[in-house]
Amino acid sequence: MAVGDLLLTGLMAVLLVGIIAALTRIENWRSYTPLAGGGTATGEDGAVLNREKPAGIIRWLTTVDHKDIGLLYGLYAIIAFAVGGIMATLIRVQLVVPGGAILGANAYNSILTSHGITMLFLFGTPIIAAFANYFIPLLIGADDMAFPRINAIAFWLLPPAALLIWAGFFLAPVTENMIEPAQTAWTMYTPLSAEQTNPGVDLMLLGLHLSGVAATMGAINFIATIFTERGDDVNWANLDIFSWTILTQSALILFAFPLLGSALVMLLMDRNLATTFFAVEGGGPLLWQHLFWFFGHPEVYILVLPPMGLVSLILPKFAGRKLFGFKFVVYSTLAIGVLSFGVWAHHMFSTGMDPRLRASFMAVSLAIAIPSAVKTFNWITTMWNGRLRLTSPMLFCIGFVSNFIIGGVTGVFLAAIPVDLVLHDTYYVVGHFHYIVMGAIAFAVFAGIYYWFPVFTGRMYQRTLGKAHFWLSMIGTNITFFAMLALGYLGMPRRYATYEFDGAIAPLAQVSTYHLLATTGAFILLVGQLIFIWNLLQSWLEGPKIEDGDPWNLERDGMLDKEWEWYDRKLETAITDGGEDETESALTDGGVPEGDASRSDDN
Amino acid sequence: MELFGFEKETLLDLTVNVIPLGIILFFIAAFAVVSPFGLDPVFSGLQFSLMISMFLLLAVLTYYAGRAVEDAERAEEEHATLDDPDGATELADDDESTEDDAELGSDDEGLPEA
Repeated sequence: MAVGDLLLTGLMAVLLVGIIAALTRIENWRSYTPLAGGGTATGEDGAVLNREKPAGIIRWLTTVDHKDIGLLYGLYAIIAFAVGGIMATLIRVQLVVPGGAILGANAYNSILTSHGITMLFLFGTPIIAAFANYFIPLLIGADDMAFPRINAIAFWLLPPAALLIWAGFFLAPVTENMIEPAQTAWTMYTPLSAEQTNPGVDLMLLGLHLSGVAATMGAINFIATIFTERGDDVNWANLDIFSWTILTQSALILFAFPLLGSALVMLLMDRNLATTFFAVEGGGPLLWQHLFWFFGHPEVYILVLPPMGLVSLILPKFAGRKLFGFKFVVYSTLAIGVLSFGVWAHHMFSTGMDPRLRASFMAVSLAIAIPSAVKTFNWITTMWNGRLRLTSPMLFCIGFVSNFIIGGVTGVFLAAIPVDLVLHDTYYVVGHFHYIVMGAIAFAVFAGIYYWFPVFTGRMYQRTLGKAHFWLSMIGTNITFFAMLALGYLGMPRRYATYEFDGAIAPLAQVSTYHLLATTGAFILLVGQLIFIWNLLQSWLEGPKIEDGDPWNLERDGMLDKEWEWYDRKLETAITDGGEDETESALTDGGVPEGDASRSDDN
Repeated sequence: MELFGFEKETLLDLTVNVIPLGIILFFIAAFAVVSPFGLDPVFSGLQFSLMISMFLLLAVLTYYAGRAVEDAERAEEEHATLDDPDGATELADDDESTEDDAELGSDDEGLPEA
């Protein structure tokens, strides 16, 4: 048996090496520009060769170009979004009937856990890093990130992190359920997470730790880049709003993620080395909750601040007016950053902690609502009397504001101790934070993808599909998550695989109806996201090519930012690929026009 | 009018953070006056230190952020005055200079890493 296993492993290794070797031979990876002079990026011409990236997949495996790494982050996050979305769909299908439609309790718990972790750590943080990597250096006039290689390492830690987090799903079938997916929920509360003997939990914890290391490396890089690599004409007074939010987010990551890492190591030691950090006779289970939420609440703002920055950047472009109260938005971003470290125990109001402590956390939680509300008023005021253009990115920005108001106001209720004690651990909380993570964060991400689609693809997306994506997402989000708010008021507890409770406890018929509504909304969302993926892929391959460096006509309002100026320069100086343009073909032989020889600010 | 060394415009911008500071201050005062759960050296100490530390951190960060932005604005204004004593700087000049920045090469071919 052992020999057979060894042989099989060896064969797998040979197969994988073979696949990698074959992939490296594929030349059409968008990896080089064929040159009119007959050479290619991998050709003989040494003068050109030195300036090229390698061909094939090797380019993507070895790149330290911030734009390439941004695209890799984006691809990674979209795949994670698809995985997390499929998991969400399975959860909603399961809950169509009170007894559970398709999954056993263990499978449901596994999928629920992985859905949360996937969406927060493998989609949320990386998709923000995708935008930040691609656009921060362009926006601040830097050549690249401060530490390009660390940037690459930070990304390449993520694929193994995902494999570890999902390891149980791959290993359960081949180990006869000896290693199952983690069933701890994303909060990993002790004693449940400390006492589950399943090694899949250890793998998940290690994966999470790895993703935290990646996020921290990325954050250090962004801080260093924004502080030290700004162009001569970019200072603190005119730094763009997206860079401000990324700077604040990076500071939050720097202080929050190492703490998560420490807590994870402590939990791993409790599980494997019989330490008692979170045991009753040691630090106690509540210690985990304090450590986890000291990371966990800043994590909320780690996820939401950059999307707020995206909306603050994009929304004015289609309102025809500059962002109202730009500095209000900047200072309130910083305020959120600081205060986010003083509110963690509002997740723990019902744990029986001292009421005096609870009161202080309530005070800071109510205070932190103000900066978020200020931003909302700024966005609305920016649109007031503006010349609105309802393009897809603008629609998603408006959807963001709308959903953020509902998600935010429901959050203010939860910040009040008496309300929280009633609604804690119900679907109300699930509805509240999904309005934020799906209704706001994902909407801003979509806005960013559509807005910059021409920059990173050179093409335009299909407008009708973009609008269909928006309306299906908007309607789906509001049906699904509003139904969850109602379910919470009905007392439906979260995380349960079934809900066949006594009708005397709660109105079962109404609960079932709202679950059905939530599932219907989830399917509307699913259709919307399928359209999004289709639009993304088809438009990338076949969409109309962008000829103008200002596809959104931003110059008219004096709002052409640096990244579009860069894009315009790129279009103007692009090397012709077939010699159609006589004047440009001269560039293709490696010649440098006079006056430009010393320029090397290609981003 | 100057306060903490800030100009009036900057002070107005900073009011956005004065509101959460005020809310925290209100609760500090309220809990000091009304204490329905009594005073306990450990828990009351933690309660007030949490709120006071958040107040101080936010105040300090707001001060330094305001300082950085105002200093940058001042430097920008001085720079503009030195460059163009008549105050006739036009954006178009900047645009032209960026146009001249056109460099060889497309995104796909890349350049040597810095």
